[in-house]
Amino acid sequence: MRYDVTTERLGLMALFDIQGDRAAVAKWVGDALPPLPERPNTRSSGGGADVFFIGPNHWIARAPIEREEALNARLNPTDCPADISIVRVSDTLTFFRATGPEAAEIMAIACPLDLHASVFGAEAVTHTEVFGLKALVLRCDGGFEFAVEQSFGDMVEDYLARALA
Amino acid sequence: MTQVNRRSQGGRIDRSRPVRFTFNGTGYEGYEGDTLASALLANGVRVTARSFKYHRPRGIVSHGPEEPATLVELDGEDASGNRPVTTVPLKEGLSARSVNCWPSPGFDLGGVNQLISRFIPAGFYYKTFKWPDWHVYEPSIRRAAGLAGAPARPPSSGHFEARHAHADVLIAGAGPAGLMAALAVGRAGKRVFLADEGPEAGGSLLNRNLTIGGRPAMGWVAEVLAELSGMENVTHLQNATVWAYREHNLMIVNERAPGRDSILERNWRVRAGEVVIATGATERTMVFGGNDRPGVMLASSVQAYVNRWGVVPGRRVVLFANNNSVYAVAADLVAADVDVAAIVDSRDDVPQVALDLVPGVEVHKGAVVSGVKGRKALRAVKVEPRTGGGGAFIDCDLLGCSGGWSPTVHLWSQSRSTLTYDEALAAFLPDTAVQPCRAVGAAAGELTLDRIVEGGADLPYAIEPLWRVDVPGQRDKAFLDLQNDVSVSDVQLALREGYSNVEHVKRYTTGGMGIDQGKTGNINIIGTVAMEQGVPLQDVGTTTFRSPYTPVSFGAIGGLREESILFPYRHTPVTQWNKDNGAVMYEAGARWRRPGYFPKAGEGLQEVVNRECHAVRDGVGVYDGSPLGTFELKGRDVPKFLDFIYTNVMSSLTPGNGRYGLMLSDDGLILDDGVAFRLDEHRWMVSTSTGHADAVNMHIEELLQTRFPDWQVMITTVTSQWNNATICGPKSREVMEALGTDIDLSPEAFPFMSFRDGTVAGLPARVVRVSFTGELSYEVNVAPRHMAELWDKVMAAGAPHGILPVGSESSHVLRVEKGFLSLGHEVDGTVDAYDLGMGWIMSRKKPDYMGKRSVLLRRDRGGDRRELVGILPEDPNRQIPEGSPLTPGGRKEATEGVVTACVWSVIQDRWVGLALLKGGRARHGETAHVRLKDDVIPVKITNPVFHDPDGVRLRS
Repeated sequence: MRYDVTTERLGLMALFDIQGDRAAVAKWVGDALPPLPERPNTRSSGGGADVFFIGPNHWIARAPIEREEALNARLNPTDCPADISIVRVSDTLTFFRATGPEAAEIMAIACPLDLHASVFGAEAVTHTEVFGLKALVLRCDGGFEFAVEQSFGDMVEDYLARALA
Repeated sequence: MTQVNRRSQGGRIDRSRPVRFTFNGTGYEGYEGDTLASALLANGVRVTARSFKYHRPRGIVSHGPEEPATLVELDGEDASGNRPVTTVPLKEGLSARSVNCWPSPGFDLGGVNQLISRFIPAGFYYKTFKWPDWHVYEPSIRRAAGLAGAPARPPSSGHFEARHAHADVLIAGAGPAGLMAALAVGRAGKRVFLADEGPEAGGSLLNRNLTIGGRPAMGWVAEVLAELSGMENVTHLQNATVWAYREHNLMIVNERAPGRDSILERNWRVRAGEVVIATGATERTMVFGGNDRPGVMLASSVQAYVNRWGVVPGRRVVLFANNNSVYAVAADLVAADVDVAAIVDSRDDVPQVALDLVPGVEVHKGAVVSGVKGRKALRAVKVEPRTGGGGAFIDCDLLGCSGGWSPTVHLWSQSRSTLTYDEALAAFLPDTAVQPCRAVGAAAGELTLDRIVEGGADLPYAIEPLWRVDVPGQRDKAFLDLQNDVSVSDVQLALREGYSNVEHVKRYTTGGMGIDQGKTGNINIIGTVAMEQGVPLQDVGTTTFRSPYTPVSFGAIGGLREESILFPYRHTPVTQWNKDNGAVMYEAGARWRRPGYFPKAGEGLQEVVNRECHAVRDGVGVYDGSPLGTFELKGRDVPKFLDFIYTNVMSSLTPGNGRYGLMLSDDGLILDDGVAFRLDEHRWMVSTSTGHADAVNMHIEELLQTRFPDWQVMITTVTSQWNNATICGPKSREVMEALGTDIDLSPEAFPFMSFRDGTVAGLPARVVRVSFTGELSYEVNVAPRHMAELWDKVMAAGAPHGILPVGSESSHVLRVEKGFLSLGHEVDGTVDAYDLGMGWIMSRKKPDYMGKRSVLLRRDRGGDRRELVGILPEDPNRQIPEGSPLTPGGRKEATEGVVTACVWSVIQDRWVGLALLKGGRARHGETAHVRLKDDVIPVKITNPVFHDPDGVRLRS
């Protein structure tokens, strides 16, 4: 009996790694992105984009790939001030989505982190491990999304196929 | 034979569902709900195994995971070895065999060992099989020692699964105490993980006829289970053994019937806020001559077979005990119309409340069983006073023994929590917890139901320990550990030979080791040691409890990780192209799969490598350099940070230019080599070797977080944001031009060690002029989304020039010809930059940099160091194995160096090599000698650069 889960390898997304003093980042980014999340390991969303608060003075912005060039022009990584760093990293991560009644079962196989809704809520996002790889994990409608370094994408597909078999 | 020992009624089996199975090739029938053990006993099978060393006939002793005597091997789809017969659920078509006997347990050729048993006591092989070498004897001894082998094939379908879980409270055991705990914690709204090793909850209540509040105890169990099943915060597993207790309350649970057809077993890694150990207690055997004969069982197991499985393992029963619990057993047997011939109680005074349970049964107080009749089936037991003298045989075919109860403290002890010996219970009890855990119920020494559940009715427990029957005249061996054939005399021998510590006794005798981990016999060993040494048991102590508590399949531990995902692997967008074009793929560091070489039909490895190298030296080649570690650094303090982590000066670079550099670790040894480019005033790009990318990343992060937390340096990993096709060879400029680019490729406009952003083949690209081959090279970096397209275009543009893809084998040759170092070859964890002839890269301008002090301190001590040299075998066609030692004159002396690489050079048209040789740079022109096992190869010592020593070609 298969797990009642649908998994999907998502296509490219516009991703920007953002580091630096919070105030300086907020000032430079302006309204190009949703406001920076207040609490670590949470996200803010708006206008089709997300900002993930993944570490001290460290965020990842995510948007549909169609918006990549516009965001790049707006965020202007090459000309941003010295005290902040913005790097386009759209190609570095491959996102997967697991949805369905038993999505948590698959995530329990993949991920050692406690993803129970009581401790990992709708706004939660964090770096952890998936199938032993460094991964970014978050919730989505009906399940979870996670991202791994894109060069591991084929292996994760392999893992998921075996887990679901 | 059809279930001659099955009662006409009773038991928690489904009599409407018969199950057929075979044991040692004979067909039998049991019922759904049976174990293999209960079904064999129901069918009157007495001899089920042969013992580990002496091959003595053995029967079934217990009813649970403590079974010490009968291990079986399952065939077919269930193939597995060394399964305690009592833990194998019966299923249609099951085929099982006894281990360690041939041709059968009834007639076993290995039984000849019994004739020489006095010559093969514990540790005999340590003393005997010394000459000429233990290993001469080892294979046959291992074959003779009796355990099953691993299955030859994996199951034809299904897979194992390992998963994680989290709980506020994990409860090990769903007996009365575990269920009480689950109710309490579940009602409080906590997340509960309840795991029990049996197929059904209830623990000891399943085996006994007890009441709670005047009603059958199993009714209470049903009510509790109903309430628990309604709690979303409770995860309840049966057939799930908590087999390991690790640090930070990480518990490991093996679930054997996960309820999904495709999953064979599931292994849970549960992180629990608190652990409740409700694992019950284990009955122990009595120790007397012949206590291993078929028909000698644990008393509670006799009770369990009668009550739970409706099986009467014998027609006429004698019970032998030193405690009260056996009286409840006798009462149940009498109620089941079993003939209880006598109770032999080693105590002089037996509580009246116990005697009242068995008014019609003869009780021999202050007496012991000191011997048995019957080799393959019990016929009678000899009963005599505990102090010896006189005695008589009582006819019986079943002896139920109870040496008292040991709280099952394995998990408690695995947590490193302490134990203390309790004189009243004659058992080790949980003492001080060192992790957030507690023991409850029988595991905590509460051995009767009335002390666990309100309203529970049970016979009070009382015991006078009897660690072994110590009357003269016992002729047969008295076993302490049935599984490993360890007898009282073995322990006495170990003590005589000076192994006085209980851990040493365990290792000398193997008592307490093996599949059952000494569950029934360990404390009897401790008691025997205490008796021999005249000390309290507390002073003897226990041996270390280790996981797994019961055997666990390796597959369950591994989970999904097998075949293609046994190890992680990484790919680039060109991986599939490489495979489609016949590449032999290798692991090339950091889990990247890279092409080793691209053979054509009929080509050998050397031919392929020569062809690829010629392409690079004479025309053009291309390789996928994507796996190189790449990082972008940003901030005002990046220049001084790079000056600290590299040995040379990086801060003087102007935007658009780069420099090769070495990174050292704190101890002055080479951590990595790579290049750094200045992108603009505050942005830099650092490139590392493939295999050390993660290590360099961690190194940088550690420095920034610990030593320079106030420096403004931000690092982003962009290894997978940039893929690159590195076009190399004298024709590479023509290929770049053919691809089409808006970058001026002339050497003046775009010199070596610079980069340019622009477009190549219509794709946004960053082109870097670096070279790992010694030839003119363009490293064309694009986003991975464009890499496959770029690669195809490069191959098309290079086709007129005969471009070839280049694998790792050829890259190795090309770098050796150029004398470029390689981590893991020349950089072997001992050499520094001076040893490699790279003193020029050790800045004298900078006041400090990482590793400088260590290098200088080491070099100030002087002494000959191994230095990088080239070597040319006197015979140009003689290959030298990489890693071969160099010794003075090729003599059998201490080595003076090592061959780090040896390749066939297409430039030199001969074998050339690199070596680290003591004082090597001063010895150019001399002859050194490679010493092989059967040969000595003279080599000429040379400069380590065999191609373009002035670097004209790579700067062209």
